[in-house]
Amino acid sequence: MTDALLQVDDLRVTFAVGGREVRAVDGVSFTVDPGRTLAIIGESGSGKTVCCRAILGLLPTGTAIGGSARLRGAELLGLSDAELRRYRGSDIAMVFQDPARSLNPTMRVGLQITEAIRTHRKVDRREAHTQAIELLRLVRMPAAERRFDEYPHQLSGGMRQRVMIAIALACRPKLLVADEATTALDVTTQAQIMELLLDLQTELDMALILISHDMGLAASYSDEVLVMYAGKIVEQAPATRLFGAEGAVRMRYTRALLDAIPHLERPAHAELPVVGGRPPDPTTRLPGCSFAPRCASAADDCLAKAPALLEHAPGHRWACWHPCENGVAS
Amino acid sequence: MSGKHSMNDRSGQAGDQLVAGEPLLSARDVVQEFVVRARGGVREGVVQAVSGVSFDVMPGETLGIVGETGSGKSTLARALLQAPRPKSGSVVFRGADLTKLRGGKLLRARRHMQFVFQDPFSSLDPKWKVRSIVEEPLIAYRTGGMKTRRERVSELLDLVGLDPVRYAKRHPRELSGGQAQRVAIARALALSPSLIICDEAVSSLDVLIQAQVLNLFEKLRGELGLSYLFIAHDLALVKQVSDRVAVMYLGKLCEVGPGDAVYREPLHPYTRALLDSIPSTEPGDRRRSSTIKGEPPSPINPPSGCRFRTRCPRATEQCALEEPMPRELAPGHLVACHFPLSQPAPAITGAVPAKETVL
Amino acid sequence: MAAPFPNATLATPVPPPLPSLINARRLRAQRLGRALRLWVPVGILALILGMCFLLPLVVTLPSSTAGNILYNNEPPFSPGHLLGTDVQGVDFFSMLVYGGQVAFEIGVAVTVIGIVIGGTIGVIGGFATGWLDAVLGRVLDILLAFPALVLALVIAEGLGPSEIHVIYALSFFGIPFVGRFARGATVTIRGLPYITAARLSGTRRWRIIVRHVLPNIMPSIVTISLLGIGITIILEGALDFLGYGIQQPEASWGNMIALGQQVLTAQPEYVLIPSIALLVTVASLNMLGDALRERWGTQ
Repeated sequence: MTDALLQVDDLRVTFAVGGREVRAVDGVSFTVDPGRTLAIIGESGSGKTVCCRAILGLLPTGTAIGGSARLRGAELLGLSDAELRRYRGSDIAMVFQDPARSLNPTMRVGLQITEAIRTHRKVDRREAHTQAIELLRLVRMPAAERRFDEYPHQLSGGMRQRVMIAIALACRPKLLVADEATTALDVTTQAQIMELLLDLQTELDMALILISHDMGLAASYSDEVLVMYAGKIVEQAPATRLFGAEGAVRMRYTRALLDAIPHLERPAHAELPVVGGRPPDPTTRLPGCSFAPRCASAADDCLAKAPALLEHAPGHRWACWHPCENGVAS
Repeated sequence: MSGKHSMNDRSGQAGDQLVAGEPLLSARDVVQEFVVRARGGVREGVVQAVSGVSFDVMPGETLGIVGETGSGKSTLARALLQAPRPKSGSVVFRGADLTKLRGGKLLRARRHMQFVFQDPFSSLDPKWKVRSIVEEPLIAYRTGGMKTRRERVSELLDLVGLDPVRYAKRHPRELSGGQAQRVAIARALALSPSLIICDEAVSSLDVLIQAQVLNLFEKLRGELGLSYLFIAHDLALVKQVSDRVAVMYLGKLCEVGPGDAVYREPLHPYTRALLDSIPSTEPGDRRRSSTIKGEPPSPINPPSGCRFRTRCPRATEQCALEEPMPRELAPGHLVACHFPLSQPAPAITGAVPAKETVL
Repeated sequence: MAAPFPNATLATPVPPPLPSLINARRLRAQRLGRALRLWVPVGILALILGMCFLLPLVVTLPSSTAGNILYNNEPPFSPGHLLGTDVQGVDFFSMLVYGGQVAFEIGVAVTVIGIVIGGTIGVIGGFATGWLDAVLGRVLDILLAFPALVLALVIAEGLGPSEIHVIYALSFFGIPFVGRFARGATVTIRGLPYITAARLSGTRRWRIIVRHVLPNIMPSIVTISLLGIGITIILEGALDFLGYGIQQPEASWGNMIALGQQVLTAQPEYVLIPSIALLVTVASLNMLGDALRERWGTQ
């Protein structure tokens, strides 16, 4: 419990847009233990990406960031770029969604990997080359030596993502953050990449944070799931508890999400239980629960006061005044 | 254009008939090619994005087409519309072969086939108001005077769940993704089509909004008796909305059949691989290992014989030599495979060595 | 050599872009900067245009072509001569004003011709396929291949010096300048889904051009045209300076610089003042074009 790899407490990120405040992340706390996988689920605008970028210091200067994020005890928030560089790559690394834009199109792929290696370790070019080929093999790139000399446009989406992972793993980080890393990939390629990530996790004893809007991904590949809405965590539980036979989803929003995604088992033409409306305007602050305007079971107290995220059941936290019973929307 | 057509005219003119029992849309051996140019404009090769695809859509049914990147599904959709015309093959819609028509005749024959694009924002002219966008087809086909048109626009906006009073005068940039897509759907409905082709129409929407729009599709299906050709890369999504599902791989149809059958008893190894790769939220389904190997081959140089053989766990010599033709193995269920999953695995198993075609 | 993979990305929910992360004070500064960049050049141009076109209507200026040789080389702020007189006694300020008129007349005329003719060629070419596109494209390319000044010189010499002939000559630059740009913008728009959607809705091609393409390329055309006016004014100045355009004693900024050249060391202001006028005008036009581009978000 105390030697969590990453400990985030009350993280807040506020932007100023047009003179008004936008609370992109509004008091988020969670821990990641070594070697475990955490999935952060949310739709666009939920704050999931901003949250992780804040931890890695990837938000432009001038953003108001509050709270704390400690990696093995060392505080990451508020560090300068130079100080953060010590951690980035060697302790914590990130893989992004669109490898076509994260890779330099004018540089050979191998060179980008060796560059990453040599940023953190003092090795000569030959040694870096060998390590880079090893990394490509590690990420199961077919024909690794040949790929080393190729340009990103010559590779498929899945292969480019493998290169991104290789770059991220260059210095064996203890925590890898995958921000919608498989969203732009075909489902078969996604399955391969996810398997790869999991195997790497065991091999390198690495913790993994998966950011996604895909609940199936969270269910299949993570140990613990955080669901975010409008900048806050609304439900948090181990994956086996949230999905699965007991169906113990409590928070209405999580339930709505689960109901809305197409399931293979559902009969065709079934009417999907819909939630009307749109995600709340981030510049307005409602006193009550942010999901209440759209929630079918909203009551007066929902609109009056925002529910706190409390551990109502062992290992399972949710923020809802009228949660679902037995995972079924009443 | 002779005279004015009534608003809800579905019958069209001679040569454009809907005969009971006949398919609404019948595509045969559709082939579409692109010329691939390397940097500098040098012609590098020809990609056959769609290589001889044949299928039918019956009136009132939804056919889903699922495929990954490079499968050719979007190219197929454009080819059906003749935008651009396929290199070869026939597309018979309501009795008329669209590939043989030009100009005004093509416009008339194609009137009852409409399209909803993937990205709502780039499929709506940013300088136009919502009202004008939905009105455009009505103006083009000269259906009624201004007053009738405006009424029809309000009717359409209501139909898709947008309050005409609030939305008619807005510009696309003032709309959310879901609202913009609804406008695109309203526009598609303007001429009372029989068939709507949806090309990844909900893929760029958030999950909850996606569900709203899918429900809208179902509602329209019920109320207006529409047929859909629903194209997407998400098999669960496609199965949800379709009566029948077609699976494409690298320009060819692998399997076509009733949605349930394709899901419960897939006959083609690729379909099986797709199903296995989908991460599921159901209990007990965690981390199935995928049954597919390797990388997708480049469409410029597709594998000989069966295109899936380089990644198929059941491929044999025969698969490299002979291209499998679609066969009907169960009522309404066709598959193009020498060793479909309903039969035991062939004696010599293992994918043909990858070095042949994987780049 | 490995073949490139199909260039496709799966459609995914689009996250809202990270909002601009600046605090309120910097935001105000940014806004102010943006407003200044727009209104300062507008103001300068309004002043210059007012000076050149409105002032003569209100105030009678001394002649810009003839002067009293007795009063030559008067310094600035002499009575009756705001900026003094030149070598031949012609009022400097008048020359500046009337020269400015000519500059703008030519600049705007050439650009309008460019928009009308070049724009039409460009849009049609951008929309056409096959041989028509090839022909129109090559026409524009050929015209653009000639160095503008040389071409203008040749034509002006052939036609003989006069304001109209200068306009004709410079149109050989203006037409391909706008035309090429219009063609590029049209080709970009043509690939967008809403054009395909319009065709699928049954809209005829010409109507698509008029109602879809033109409104969407208009902002880009306006910004490039402002730049074009500036370039044209400079070219006109060069033509006049070389003696092929507006001939003396007609006033033009180019002529003023040519005349002033002779007394450059002794009275540099004869060169400096028209040069500064040119500089300020063209720079303001450019700045305005940039500011509009920023505001309208065009490429």
